[in-house]
Amino acid sequence: MQRFRLAFAALACAALAIAAVAPVANAATTLRVFSGGANQRPDLMRKLFDQYEAAHPGIKIDIETGGATSELQRQYLSTVLNAKDSAIDIYMIDIVNPAQYFGAGWLEPLDAYIGKADAVMKPYLPVYLQADVVDGKVAAMPGFADAMFMYYRKDLLERYHIAEPKTWDELAAASKTIQAGEKNPNLQGLSIQGAPIEGAVCTFLLPYWSQGREFNDASGKMTLDKTAAVKGLDKWLAMVDQGVIKRNVAEVKTPDTVNEFKAGQVIFAINWGFAWDRFQADKDSTVQGKVGVMPLPAMAGGKSATCVGGWQWAVSAFSKNKAEAAKLVQFLATPASSKFLAIEGSLLPTYQGVYVDPDVVKAVPWFKDAANVVIAGKNRPMSRDYGQVSDVIRTTTSAVLARSRTPEEGVAEIQSKLARVMR
Amino acid sequence: MAILDRVRDPGERTLAVVLLAPAFALLALIVVYPIGRIIYQSFFDARLSGGHGHRFVGLDNYRIAFHDTEFWTATWHTVAITLITVPAALVVGLGLALLANLPFRRRWPVRLALLLPWAMPLAFAGLIFAWFFHTEYGIVNDVVRRLGAGGEPTMWLLRPGWAFAAVCVTIVWKTSSFMALILLAGLTMIPRSLYEAAEVDGASHFQQFREITLPMLMPSIVVALIFRTITALQTFDIPYTMTRGGPADATETLAMLIHKTTIDYLDVGYGSTLAVAMFVLSLAVTTVYLRRLARTP
Amino acid sequence: MSPAARVATGLPANPLAGRGLRLAAAAIVVVNGFFPAVWILLTSLKTETELVRKPITYWPRNLTLDNYVRAFTDQPLLRFLGNSLAVALASTALSLVVAALAAYAIARLNLRRRQLILTAIVASSMFPLVTLLVPIFETMRALNLLNTYTALVLPYTVLNLPVCTLVLASFFEGIPRDLENAAMIDGCTRVGALWRVVVPLAAPGVFTAGILAFVNAWDEFLLALSLNANASMRTLPVGITLYQGEFTFPWPTISAALVVAIVPIAVLIALFQERVVGGLTQGGMKG
Repeated sequence: MQRFRLAFAALACAALAIAAVAPVANAATTLRVFSGGANQRPDLMRKLFDQYEAAHPGIKIDIETGGATSELQRQYLSTVLNAKDSAIDIYMIDIVNPAQYFGAGWLEPLDAYIGKADAVMKPYLPVYLQADVVDGKVAAMPGFADAMFMYYRKDLLERYHIAEPKTWDELAAASKTIQAGEKNPNLQGLSIQGAPIEGAVCTFLLPYWSQGREFNDASGKMTLDKTAAVKGLDKWLAMVDQGVIKRNVAEVKTPDTVNEFKAGQVIFAINWGFAWDRFQADKDSTVQGKVGVMPLPAMAGGKSATCVGGWQWAVSAFSKNKAEAAKLVQFLATPASSKFLAIEGSLLPTYQGVYVDPDVVKAVPWFKDAANVVIAGKNRPMSRDYGQVSDVIRTTTSAVLARSRTPEEGVAEIQSKLARVMR
Repeated sequence: MAILDRVRDPGERTLAVVLLAPAFALLALIVVYPIGRIIYQSFFDARLSGGHGHRFVGLDNYRIAFHDTEFWTATWHTVAITLITVPAALVVGLGLALLANLPFRRRWPVRLALLLPWAMPLAFAGLIFAWFFHTEYGIVNDVVRRLGAGGEPTMWLLRPGWAFAAVCVTIVWKTSSFMALILLAGLTMIPRSLYEAAEVDGASHFQQFREITLPMLMPSIVVALIFRTITALQTFDIPYTMTRGGPADATETLAMLIHKTTIDYLDVGYGSTLAVAMFVLSLAVTTVYLRRLARTP
Repeated sequence: MSPAARVATGLPANPLAGRGLRLAAAAIVVVNGFFPAVWILLTSLKTETELVRKPITYWPRNLTLDNYVRAFTDQPLLRFLGNSLAVALASTALSLVVAALAAYAIARLNLRRRQLILTAIVASSMFPLVTLLVPIFETMRALNLLNTYTALVLPYTVLNLPVCTLVLASFFEGIPRDLENAAMIDGCTRVGALWRVVVPLAAPGVFTAGILAFVNAWDEFLLALSLNANASMRTLPVGITLYQGEFTFPWPTISAALVVAIVPIAVLIALFQERVVGGLTQGGMKG
C-alpha cells in the first residue's frame, strides 16, 4: 500500500511538472525579416511591423538590414541560402529576382498559405502576374512598386514654349533648342544610365519596347528582333552625336543623373520614382518646384513603354516559421499597407485603386500622373537565369554606348550569348 | 615563458610536430573541407538557377572551360595584370622603401605615408581611383586640362586599353606600399658594419647597393613577390569597383569571372572548376618561388 | 648629418647629396601616400551637388560638417570600428603566435619535406575566397559560431597564416644561430630560446607580419558580410557599404565615415612606426 501511494504521488508530481513546463500554445515566435538597404525604407517597414505586432501578440519581428544594394544582397543571399540557412524567415527581393530564386529552391511557394496564383494576383497591377508567379506558383507578394519616369525641367520648357515631347526625335529637337538658347555648355539634353548597372538593362529595353517589340514570349523563350534592337541603340548614339546625351554616358550611374539634375545641369532625365523627392525636397537641390513628370517618349510611330521596378516579399524555403511568415507577408501586401507606404514614404503603390485614393493624392499629388506610367510598365525578362541575362545585356549595352562595340555587334552578342539560356 | 623552460626539451622530430601542429590544425578546421568541396563540386553540373539539379559530369566542366573563350580571356587579363603590376610594384616599392629609409629629422610623416594606402579598404580604393579617372569629375583630366593640353577630355575608363592601364596604376599604387613595408623591414636588418667596411674600401654608393643591399634583401624580395603574385592572380576588388570588368569585359579577371559564375549565375559546379584552374595556375607560379625560398640557407 | 653619423644608421653612405634632394624624396613619398586620403578629407566637407560642378573644385565651396553628423547617425559607425578592431587585433595576435611556431620549425629544424610544408601552408591562399564562402559558413554554423567575433577571427588567422609564416621564416633565417645556442647553453629550452632570443631579434619582421595581418583582417569583406550579418556585429568594410542605397551613393557621407575609420589606424601607425620599421639596433646587429 505504501509503495502504491508513493508511486501515485510520484506520478502526480510528474504530471504537474510536465503540465508546468509544457509549451504554451502561442509562445512568442520571432520572425526575422531581411529588409534591404536604405532605399527600401526599413524605417517605414519597422512601423508596419509594429502595427502587425500590436495586432498579433505573440509575434515579434526583427529586421535585418544587410546588403545596401541589390548586388550586395545577392552576394549575401547566395552564400546564406546556398547553405540552406534558416536564420531568416522573410526576404525583400527585387522584382527581377523571384524567378531565379524560386528556381534555385530558395523561396517557399505561398499557394498553400494565401491562395492560388490567379486569384491572389488579380487585385494587383498586371506586371505582378508575370513577375511574382513562377511555374504557376506564387513565389512572392508585391511590396511596393517602382518605374522609370521621364523627369524634365518644366520652367525651361515653358520658357521656350515647348510642349511635352511624345517621341525621341521631338525630345532631341526640344533639347537642342533649349541648349542653344541657354548657352550653358554644361547643360545636358537627356541623362540616361549607361554604366553596366542593372538600370542599363532598362536603357536597352526602353527604345526597343517602344517599337512594340517583346524580348521574350510568355514561356520565356527569347524573341529578340535584332533590327529593332539595333535601331534602339542607334537612337541613343544619334543623340550622343547631336550633343543631346553626353559623350561619357557609359559612365553614368543612377545617382549621377540625380545629382546632375539637382544641380540644374539636365533638361530631361530618366530615373526611378525615388528621384522626385530628391529633386523637390533635398536641401542642396536647385530645381525645387521646377520639375515635371511625363510618360517616356516613344520611337516614331511606336508606343510609350517603361521599365517596372519595385520590391517583393518572399518567404524563405528554409524558414522554421513558414505559416506565420506567410501571414505577415500577406499583411504587408494589403491595400492598407500599400497606402501607408505611399503616404509616409512616397513609395509607389501596387494596387491601381490606391493611386487615386483621396488621402494618397493629397499627400503625394504627383502619383496621379505616375499611375498611368506604372500601370503601362513592362517587366524585364523573367528568366530563371536572370543573373546571366542581366549581365549580358547590361555589359553589352554599356559597351555599345562606350563605342567599344557597334550596335550590330552588340545585338549579335546578346543574341548568341542568350540564345542558349532563354529557350 | 618560465613554464616552457620547465618542460623537458623534446627531441627534434617531436618538436617539429608540436610547432607545426597549431598551424595545421587551424588549416584543417577552416580550409580543408572547403577546398575538398570545391574540388568535389567541380565534377558536377550544379546550376542552381536552372533547377537543373546536381548531376555528376566527370571532366565535362573542365572540357567546357578549355573551350570557353571568356575563361581564356579572363585568364589572359589576370596573367597580364600579374606580369605588369608585380614587377612595377616591386620597383616602386623598392624606391619608396629606399626613400623612406633616408635619415629624416621627423620620420613619421614618411612612414605614415607609406602605410596609409593600406588603411583604405580595398574596395574603396578602387572607387576613389575610378573617380580620379572619371571623364568629367576626375583629377586626372583636371590636371591635364590645367596643364593646357586641350581637346576633348579622354574617357579613361571607357576605352579598353586605357581602362586596363588605369586598373594597373591603381593596383600598383595600392600594393607598392605592401612591398615597401616588407622591403623596409628587410633593409633595417642589414648590419651597418657591411656598409662601413665597403665605405672604407672606397665603394661607390651604387656599388654598395648592388653588392650589399640587393643580395641581403633577396629573401625579403622573394617573400614579397610570392604574396604579391598570389594576390595578383586573384585580383578582384579593384577592377570590379572601377569598371565592373568593362568596357565589354576588357578588364575582367579570372577572379571576377569566378565571382560572376558563382554568385550571379549561381553555377556552383562551373565556378568550382574555374577555382581549381586558378589554384593550378597559382601553384605553378609559386612553386618556382618556393623552390628558391626552400633552398635559401 | 656627418658621414660618420650617416654610416652609423646602417645606410649606404652619401645616398643623396643635400637636404634639397632629401626633401624632394620625402615629398614624393608623402604625396603618393596621402593624396587619396586628403581627397577623401576634402570630399567629406562638401555637399553632394558640389561634386558635379564643372570644373571640379578642390577646396569646398560651401564647407559643411553635416556629413560627419550623418556618418554617425545613419549607421552605428563606432560599433563597426569597435568590431573591426577587436577582430583584427585578435586574429593578428593569434596569427603571429601560430606563425612564429611554424616559422621556427621551418627556419631552424632540418625538415625533410620543407618545401611541401611551405607549399601546404601557402596553398590555402591560392583559392579565391568567394568559392570558400559557403563551406566556411556551414562550418561556422555547425560550430554555432555565427555572428561572433570567433567566426571571423579563425578564418582571418588562417588567411594570414601564409604571409606571417613566410615573413617570419625569412627573418628567423637571417638571425645567426650562435645566439640561441648561447641561450640554450645557459639552460634555455629551444622553445624558450624562440621566445626570448629569436623573436625579439626579428622584431622588425614580427611587426611587419603583424601589420600585414592586421590590415588584411581590417580590409576583409566577403567573410564579414556573410558570417557576421547581425547589425551589432558588423565590421567596418561591410558597415561602410550600408551608407549606400540601391540608387544613392553619398560620397560626402561615405568619405566622412572613411575619415573616421582611417584616423585611428593612422594614429596607431604613427605611434608604432618607430617599432614597425626599425631604428631598432638590437645587440646582435652590431657585429
